[in-house]
Amino acid sequence: MSLTSHVAAQIKELRTSYNHGEGLSQETLANSLGIAANTVSRWETGVYVPSLHDVEKLARFFGVSMMVFIPPEETEEDDDNLKSLLRTARQLDHTDIEELRKYAEFRKARSMYKGKKRPKAGRRSKKR
Amino acid sequence: MKAQTYYEDLKRLARQVRAENGLLLPRVTERDLRNIYARNGIEIDIWPYKFRNLRGAFMDDKFGTTVLLAKGLPQDPMVFTMAHELKHFLTDRHLQVSYCDQSNAHKILEIGAEVFASELLFPDGDFIKHMREMKIGTYQCLPETLVRLKRTTRTTLSYAGLSIKAERLRYARRDSLTKVKTWRKLERAYNLTRQ
Repeated sequence: MSLTSHVAAQIKELRTSYNHGEGLSQETLANSLGIAANTVSRWETGVYVPSLHDVEKLARFFGVSMMVFIPPEETEEDDDNLKSLLRTARQLDHTDIEELRKYAEFRKARSMYKGKKRPKAGRRSKKR
Repeated sequence: MKAQTYYEDLKRLARQVRAENGLLLPRVTERDLRNIYARNGIEIDIWPYKFRNLRGAFMDDKFGTTVLLAKGLPQDPMVFTMAHELKHFLTDRHLQVSYCDQSNAHKILEIGAEVFASELLFPDGDFIKHMREMKIGTYQCLPETLVRLKRTTRTTLSYAGLSIKAERLRYARRDSLTKVKTWRKLERAYNLTRQ
């Protein structure tokens, strides 16, 4: 499965199964992320792939790993590296280990998202 | 290799980095380090989420050569962390990952990174020169001496770093400076006495 279709399917799945299957609308999700509602629609239909920072925000919002948004066949071989990193860092405070793990995932995702089409329009300006 | 030899090698390396990058003063800024990072192809990620103890981490693998820096670090700790992680880039790349917090401060590689960072920001030789100019002899360095030194040199090496250096070079007795917690108060007091 391509990255675009995988991300599209994952976002839709997470959104519709949110809160034990209750789901939430595209607009609610968009509001929570501070983006335009039609952006979520475009992600879910594969018009474009969310930016890496949006993927990071999605992962935090849904409480999942960023790796959820990477096709599994592209992440398998890197699992050992991540395990090795976490072993190295086991003396750290557990919240720091968790953030370090997220950072390691962010780096991986970034390398996979390089060169992908990112949204440029449809963002809301920050409230003042 | 003995630890002391390893640390001396790292100090030499730090002085070499200073020379190669035209760093002549004990004031090494974040911009200076960003330039060194850029020249070496190291990507900086300021992580926008909170860490409890972690200040920085170095990672080098197929996903890139990156340094993670905790957001919101004040100037001196930020510069020191960047210098610390630069050592990992220069000498520990084979490890793929290193991180900097209080839990691993005892390891030789980590102590080495601290030694390297301290020398990069304020070489021992320059420190000794300043002590001589201030007519500070063995065990004569007081907290206010370091306040004065920091003020005159505008060094980015923190009071904690300066204290360790002063004690190690025997300008102060052990623990006489490193246990001081009131540097800000001393700075204010020093300002008052100058007015």
